[in-house]
Amino acid sequence: MVQASSVEIRKVNKFYGPFQALKDIDLSVPPGKVTCLIGPSGSGKSTLLRCINFLEEYDSGEVRIDDQLIGYEVPGGRKMPARKLREMRRSIGMVFQQFNLWPHMTAQENVAEGLIRVRGLPRAEAADRAVEALRKVGLGDKMANHPARLSGGQQQRVAIARAIAMEPQLMLFDEPTSALDPELVGEVLNVMKTLAGEGMTMVVVTHEMGFAAHVADQVAFMEAGELVAVDAPARILHQPEDPRIQGFLRTYHERNAF
Amino acid sequence: MEWSIFQQYGPMLLRGFQITVFCWLFGTIFGMILGLLIALAQRYGVKPVRWLLQAYIEIIRGTPFLVQLFVLYYGGPLIGLRLDALPAGLLGLTIYGSPYFAEIFRSAFRAVPHGQIEAARAIGMAEVSIIRRILLPLGLVSALPALVNFSIILTKETVILSIITVPELMYQVQRMSTETFRYLEANLVLALFFWALVELISRVGRRLEIRITKHLIERT
Amino acid sequence: MFSIETFFDSFGPLFWAARYTLLVSGLGIALGLVIGALICAAGLSRWTAAQRFAAIWVSFLRGVPLLVQLLLMYYLLPVIGINVPAIAAAVITVGICASAYISEIWRGAIGALPKGQSEAAIAIGMDPRNVWTRIILPQAVVLSLPALVNELILLVKASSLVSVVGILEVTRASQAHAATTFRPLEVYLAAACIYLLINLCLAGLGRYLEHRTAV
Repeated sequence: MVQASSVEIRKVNKFYGPFQALKDIDLSVPPGKVTCLIGPSGSGKSTLLRCINFLEEYDSGEVRIDDQLIGYEVPGGRKMPARKLREMRRSIGMVFQQFNLWPHMTAQENVAEGLIRVRGLPRAEAADRAVEALRKVGLGDKMANHPARLSGGQQQRVAIARAIAMEPQLMLFDEPTSALDPELVGEVLNVMKTLAGEGMTMVVVTHEMGFAAHVADQVAFMEAGELVAVDAPARILHQPEDPRIQGFLRTYHERNAF
Repeated sequence: MEWSIFQQYGPMLLRGFQITVFCWLFGTIFGMILGLLIALAQRYGVKPVRWLLQAYIEIIRGTPFLVQLFVLYYGGPLIGLRLDALPAGLLGLTIYGSPYFAEIFRSAFRAVPHGQIEAARAIGMAEVSIIRRILLPLGLVSALPALVNFSIILTKETVILSIITVPELMYQVQRMSTETFRYLEANLVLALFFWALVELISRVGRRLEIRITKHLIERT
Repeated sequence: MFSIETFFDSFGPLFWAARYTLLVSGLGIALGLVIGALICAAGLSRWTAAQRFAAIWVSFLRGVPLLVQLLLMYYLLPVIGINVPAIAAAVITVGICASAYISEIWRGAIGALPKGQSEAAIAIGMDPRNVWTRIILPQAVVLSLPALVNELILLVKASSLVSVVGILEVTRASQAHAATTFRPLEVYLAAACIYLLINLCLAGLGRYLEHRTAV
């Protein structure tokens, strides 16, 4: 069982110039649970996710990881020192849509890099842990490959291994399967499902409604920078009350009907 | 045509060639280091620093190398910068090359996908580590063709040092040709020599490039 | 001490000399455009001998320093019975040298056009001549404009080298002026300013063209 963090998001706003990307977002992510963020593209779900580890700097409101504010020293105050931010990020893993593996390093080196540079582990130990993490995502035989020699699904699994090797207490997934060919989506979702089963807190931005329905503990629907509804998956995906969610799901099912 | 002069002047020409190679290596290495520092300062520096560096880049790139050398070598003593021809040439070459190298690095850094930097930030890597482990290795690889290309341009620029009497190959060849009156032969051989040298360097550069980028090329 | 007066006084004679700088680089690029077009055409032709000639032309001129080319031409022309003023020899050399770079610029611009465009033209039954004159060349020329302006900037700087064969352009004039005033720092800085001025104007033109031609 891993140690799992909680996330509290309170009244978060984010502007790009005059455009408001996030409007007064409130969201609680309980420890050990899986929260899926869904909604049309441009709705602000990736922006919200990126606010959780402060890759995106929210303008007002609070994002707290285990009660500790991230990004600012006090709400509305100065930005927190870079060192402190790095420390908080250590325990937050993130997986990107575009994998973002470092192309000049092998799979194993990609995973070990953070352990060496951030956790300060000796090389040998970092290498061992990298192997362990890669085995866990089913890539024990691909350790020596550079990213260019891996399929998209394998690259994304290496990226997950890179994140979990750091022993995070929270995992953020930013559309982890959107850049993948359809036949490779399953292998990545399976790894994520395993992680969820181990009690990891996960926040997942996704278009995979099946994953949201079967794995998520709660689903949050966003549109135009607003959090429209947060509820159990079945209530959002099967009996949505809000017409915006109904419209979104209709479009989704129509597309998948072909 | 009289070719035996090349035997007679062999040692002198060899010495000149050594100085040419030395100037080229010096200019390339230190110009590259200075350029790298400028590119990093432009990426991470505060606005006034970036403006100053941009002005430096525009000024050096907007003026001929020969005039820069004149300012340094003949104008330098007026402000207490008394340099012999060779040190003046080396310094001039370094300064001359630095903005071009800086621009090469700058666009190479920009070519590193932002997501790969973000991925490092997300696991809490310090900015210094990110530069050393992600930005530099990836940037250097994508800068390589342009770096080789510009170092070839520098090879050719070394001949301009002869005008401020740096005793490199061009200088020795001109000395030889005025002593023997074999102007045409001397310059013809010099031209062919440079042609061969530049071809050689660009071939070695291409080979190097293929070796270094081998594992970065997408499987098809 | 830096004499601001000498610095400003130098501009008069140096500006006057700038007409040769502009002449050499201007005529140089004009000649380079013509020869560059021929070399580019030779390189793209189906005739192997022409291709090889173009490749050697480009490789030689890009491999040999311009200063060496200048002296070579300077000494070669009389030997083969061509007696022209030094300025003509300088323009010819600069033009020939530029032709190598310009042919590469054009080859690059033509290569950068999507292949589908000429295929589309061939598909509607256009003959090869029209494909070239109506589809490929108009676009390639526009596409190459910023690079050509950049080449002109390089030529303005390179024209400083023709001072060694006695052309009284900005650099040569500044040498003479420095010798009479004994103020090399001020005079050479003034010369640098003139080059900078010319090149900043050209760079502005280049940016304008790039902006105008950006699709």
